[in-house]
Amino acid sequence: MIPVHLPLVELLIDIFAASILVTAFLIVSSRSLVFYIRLFALQSLLLGMVALLVVIGYGETHILIAAILTIAIKAIAIPVVLTRVIERIHVQKEIRFRMSITASLMFCGGIVILADSVAQSILRSPHAEASAVTRVLSVSIAMMLIGLFIMMTRQKALTQIIGLLTMENGVFLSGLSITYGMPLIVEVGIFFDILVAVLILGVFVFRINKTFESISIDSLRSLRH
Amino acid sequence: MSTIILGLLLGLPVAGTLLCAVLHQRRILETVTVSVGGLTFLSALWLVAEVMQGTTISSSEGWLYADALSAYIIIIISGSALVVALYSTGYLRRQIRDGKVSDRQLWLYYLLLNAFLCTMMVVLLSNNLGFLWIGSEATTLATAFLVAFYERERSIEAAWKYVIICSVGIGFALFGIILTYYSALHVVPGSGNALNWSSLMLVAKDLDPAVLKLAFIFILVGFGTKAGLAPLHTWKPDAYGEAPTPISALMAAGLVNVALYSLMRFYVLVNTAVGGTYAPTLFMVFGLVSMGIALPFILLQKDFKRMLAYSSVEHVGIIVFAIGIGTPLAYFGALLHLLNNALAKMVLFLTAGNVRLAYGSRLMRRVTGAIKVIPVSASFLIVGVFALTGWPPFGVFISEFTIVTAGIDRGYVVPVIFFIAIIAAVFVGFIYYTSRMVFGEPNVPVTGGEAEPLALWVLGLLLAALLLLGVYLPPPLEQVIENAARVLKG
Repeated sequence: MIPVHLPLVELLIDIFAASILVTAFLIVSSRSLVFYIRLFALQSLLLGMVALLVVIGYGETHILIAAILTIAIKAIAIPVVLTRVIERIHVQKEIRFRMSITASLMFCGGIVILADSVAQSILRSPHAEASAVTRVLSVSIAMMLIGLFIMMTRQKALTQIIGLLTMENGVFLSGLSITYGMPLIVEVGIFFDILVAVLILGVFVFRINKTFESISIDSLRSLRH
Repeated sequence: MSTIILGLLLGLPVAGTLLCAVLHQRRILETVTVSVGGLTFLSALWLVAEVMQGTTISSSEGWLYADALSAYIIIIISGSALVVALYSTGYLRRQIRDGKVSDRQLWLYYLLLNAFLCTMMVVLLSNNLGFLWIGSEATTLATAFLVAFYERERSIEAAWKYVIICSVGIGFALFGIILTYYSALHVVPGSGNALNWSSLMLVAKDLDPAVLKLAFIFILVGFGTKAGLAPLHTWKPDAYGEAPTPISALMAAGLVNVALYSLMRFYVLVNTAVGGTYAPTLFMVFGLVSMGIALPFILLQKDFKRMLAYSSVEHVGIIVFAIGIGTPLAYFGALLHLLNNALAKMVLFLTAGNVRLAYGSRLMRRVTGAIKVIPVSASFLIVGVFALTGWPPFGVFISEFTIVTAGIDRGYVVPVIFFIAIIAAVFVGFIYYTSRMVFGEPNVPVTGGEAEPLALWVLGLLLAALLLLGVYLPPPLEQVIENAARVLKG
């Protein structure tokens, strides 16, 4: 496949990558669980678009299937499953925060700066090529850290799943950015694992809800010393 | 020939999983699981015989790969799986009779036990580091419902914590693997092979050291979480405490070693590429910290299985510390300790299962005078504790002694003093709680009796093996461990 008009592709990749980061910030700044899921779906759709652009712009055709899987599984299937879970358990809002939204946003801003400096140190390698895709590395590292941050500061079980998935999206994006994605068969295996993990966690959310009335992981404290 | 062995090792557990998925009769499920365990163990012995001369074997397309290190770990894993399969039959029959387990749960148990073995084999046989990752995450997923098996509040909570923490950890490991791939992409001819361990080792010296150093941090955190290395060990006491006892045993004797295996692979790669003391120092620090963090929790424990889980954190620390010393003798000690720890952990977890069946409680204060109620299990318990805490004439003593010697030879006197002090303090805690469980008068009427003769025979054999390893190391085993240590040297 012949790479098409690179400047346009690079511009689009930059725009989509920036939008992905914006979705992560919006997750941090909102309270509604339904909104979290929609944002995650949007984030995955954008991620799939970036992957498609890598296919078009750089001729990396083996990513095509990974791009389709991203859209099918992460932007459609997982959000549908999670929405069902929410409907069944009647929990709509993230109520308690370990850190206020303002402080969280500022903290995440710091994360982005940190992520950028880590990314620059990786790209200092002699083999690095300065293209739009490699620039995305800092966005991907920021997403991993923001995902982790969401998991550490929010208490609803479902928010934890969203945090984990945001982190996974970050890891996928990092692979896309510096290695044009892992070999196809490995990517497919990773998708399968993530899908199963979400299904299992979904089952646990049901059961936690059954036994604790509400799914705040704050009530999961009986195992503490 | 080599394709047949590798195919058997992977195919048998897959076949077991599929058979259990379609069959539902208790007796058939038991037979399938025990035969899969036995046949896999036999194939593992065959594999060891093949790689005895320090050679490696791989499948024709290069997806599967085994050398002395993987063969040695596979022996431990498949042996543990066989023991656990044998023990599970009696344990679950009792629990069904007591109405604690339903027929559907029984089916799920055997299905997932086979799937668990299968996923561990994927990790141990993959040449491609991406598949190693996929297998590692799959071990978490296969065991998730086993941890939540009894469907109590506490077990679902433990399983939730287990899946979340391990998935986050392994997510970091994936980033580490991506960085490794990145460092290799321009070096390995044919990018399809750039994730294969065998190709990476050939060009290790040409990989970008700066990127690999960063990659190693993520990999250490990631697979360290799976192994239960502090500070991300917090899932371990909950998961081991809540899972059915035979599963806890297989996690402590099998899964831990699978995670350590992944760590070792990357340790070798990074050590060869970066050189110096980078990876060894990280290993020594993480190892000692894990040992130190486990100590207070062992000293102040109410639940015997949770105490064993913290002991597992401690012993993972011992092994990682030993690898960090970085001499051939230390590698030998670390690998020998892998086996000794697996044997001792199985003895104690399974004996704890017997105590649980007899007393119906897991709290140590509820259990007293076990020697009068279940004399055989109680003797195994006290002897097992002496073996686990490193007393002669048991194997654990020999491996710990080897590690200490290697450490002093290398000049790490202060870390070794900490190492010995922690082991001594752990012994005090263990012996205090265990002697209260074993001796004295039973304070409650004990309803359950002694475990089945088969379970007791298995436990007796394991203890005998531990004793044997303490006085005599069979030459073939020594050869295998030496070959595996050579792989660790890179």
